[in-house]
Amino acid sequence: MRRGHNTGNDIASLVIPLEPIAPEVTLEEVANMFLYPDNANVLSLPVVDNGRPVGVISRYRFLDIYLKPYGRELHGKRPISAYMSNAPLLVAHDQPLAEAAQHVAEHMRFPLTEDFIITEHGIYVGVGFVVDLLKAIEVQMRANSDELNQAYSRLKSSQLALVQSEKMASLGQMVAGIAHEINTPLGYVQNNVAMGQELFAQVQAMIAGYEALVDGLLNPQADEAQITTLMQQVATMRADINAHAMLGEMQGLMTDSLYGIGQISELVLNLKNFSRMDAAMTDTVNLNDCIESALNIGRNVLKSKVELIKELGELPKITCAPSQLNQVFLNLFTNAAQAMETSGRLLIKTWHVDGMVYASVADTGLGIQPENLSRIFDPFFTTKPVGEGTGLGLAISQQIIQQHGGEIRVESSVGAGTCFYIRLPARSAAGAPRDGTTLQTPPTVLRTA
Amino acid sequence: MNKPTLLLIDDEERILRSLRMLFFTGYNVHMTTDPHEAIRILRDEKVHVIVSDQRMPIMQGSELLRIARETSPSTMRILLTGYSDIKASIASVNEGEVFRYLLKPWNAEEVKQTVAQAAAIAEASFALQQSHVEIVASAPEKKPRVLIMDDDESTAQAVQEVLHDRCEIIWASNAQHAMEELAKQDISVVISDLMLGDTNVSYILKTIKQINPQTQCIVVTSFDDTSRLIDLINQAQIARYLSKPIHKSMLARDLEYLLKRFYALSNLPALQKSQSVAPINDPQEKLLSLNFMGLLNRLRNVTP
Repeated sequence: MRRGHNTGNDIASLVIPLEPIAPEVTLEEVANMFLYPDNANVLSLPVVDNGRPVGVISRYRFLDIYLKPYGRELHGKRPISAYMSNAPLLVAHDQPLAEAAQHVAEHMRFPLTEDFIITEHGIYVGVGFVVDLLKAIEVQMRANSDELNQAYSRLKSSQLALVQSEKMASLGQMVAGIAHEINTPLGYVQNNVAMGQELFAQVQAMIAGYEALVDGLLNPQADEAQITTLMQQVATMRADINAHAMLGEMQGLMTDSLYGIGQISELVLNLKNFSRMDAAMTDTVNLNDCIESALNIGRNVLKSKVELIKELGELPKITCAPSQLNQVFLNLFTNAAQAMETSGRLLIKTWHVDGMVYASVADTGLGIQPENLSRIFDPFFTTKPVGEGTGLGLAISQQIIQQHGGEIRVESSVGAGTCFYIRLPARSAAGAPRDGTTLQTPPTVLRTA
Repeated sequence: MNKPTLLLIDDEERILRSLRMLFFTGYNVHMTTDPHEAIRILRDEKVHVIVSDQRMPIMQGSELLRIARETSPSTMRILLTGYSDIKASIASVNEGEVFRYLLKPWNAEEVKQTVAQAAAIAEASFALQQSHVEIVASAPEKKPRVLIMDDDESTAQAVQEVLHDRCEIIWASNAQHAMEELAKQDISVVISDLMLGDTNVSYILKTIKQINPQTQCIVVTSFDDTSRLIDLINQAQIARYLSKPIHKSMLARDLEYLLKRFYALSNLPALQKSQSVAPINDPQEKLLSLNFMGLLNRLRNVTP
């Protein structure tokens, strides 16, 4: 038998089927056995009686006895049972590796003088080397850690996916709101243009009638009857189409249409400012602009029921990713609107002290239950019904603020409302947030010649 | 004939001005941004058609139309909205019982036609009211038939529990069976999921409503799709849209109400125009509908 036995992932694979010795075997015979070349590597020999392991004799113990003066003469003819250790290290062949290793480690003596005995249902099957056991354990640990690594990377990617889905969920809400904001002006502009076109055709026909009449009057060859017919045609048209009233009305509608187009342009501009996809990741901006931008986008969720009060102070510019801060504020405004079921007041304040910029967003909504207050920044924590919130909005907001070197905290009292405080360093030492999702700066806008 | 009266409500005045121009000739137009004012007008005047926005600061359109339904039942209700969220759409069916659900931006010609149609229906309905014809909602001698179109047994069980033996209950768990039952006999109320196995059965509901305006359709479903629901409002005039799992008490109340409406419509065919549907616009559904129509004609012609 040699070391380097093929170590697998269970005890059975560690078995070395060493020939055991019987309890009545003499020390002299054991001496010979230790000298077998095959046994050169074993630390100890198992003693087995009727198939059952009863003890173990280690080379160390054996030499201790045998090398003493007259040891061989005194003890050589006596049975091994008188000298063996009665408590061999026993491991079952089907024991899990980790459990066996723990058992061995607990009962092993130092220096290491024994191998362990492997049994199957109590019957001796062979011995095992502690070193092999350790090697097997190491292999298993490595496999486990690979698995752990895989699980970790799976978790990480699913978290990324969730953050993405939160973005999509808020985007979906936003898009629905913006669709309404755009469809309203689009509705009347389109209708006005369609009616303008119709009126235009009518007015054209009417002018044609007048021109025909004028031509008739100027034509010396035209007779009375022809002129009368032309006049009647014009009169009928005049009666049918109230051109003055219609044109007057239409003038107003044209003004409305221009206004509507202005509204749509403004919305599109707001959207562009909000996402800032065409700008670099970091910018120096005024936090008040972020708030205004988020208010513009969130207008549709707020306007119907919320009285808005802004107390925006003079602020130094800060280095930040504006689109991310916009997202934070939009999230706070949306939450506030949802907390105020029928109506309420939203108070937004900004100020700065000692190189720090502060913002607070206070609503007069339902408030947050004390037991929930400590958890609202936890990922996936939500009190909204299934499907309405991912529970990531505030977690992401907190992450964004922290990446900017700032802090977000909350105060709330049930029935009275909730206030979020944000603190950001005016000069961000950390610079741009690096989160691996950094957008590449697109090529500068092409100018048409 | 006097010009029909049209009431327009939107929180955006420019929408109102634009619509007023659209109905400049041919209508007596009232417009307001205030839903309370609208309710007052409905109480004081004979309004043929009310066209309301959904999202308004003081009151949602579906809520206003619910009040309109109670204040002036003959007034035809139309929702004109730029924002189609599912909650609003469901409320417009269950509460507002709208005649049409139109989207902004709208097609001028289509809106004109829809309002004209609604005005004519309202005029007939007002005339009926004036002639003091009693609208009898008493049950006929024959048991009404209720058809369940759902492969989910719990729906059939719920209906059975609610109705006991008041009605003849037929359960079809696939589209073919459902169409055969609808072709064989007149059905009072259809309770249907939108999907039967893999088949979207919207076209069956739309077709049956074209042929039998008095038949009342309840959609019970576990999935919400706003655009599909809007089509079902306009093209199938579904009477209720209930989410699964079914609340039995709600179903019982709705069935009670819809059976009465079915009796009223059956006894007074003049009222049936109020249930008229818009044509199917999806080309594939149109084709399926034509095939179903063919089956209907074959089966109805052979049965005495």
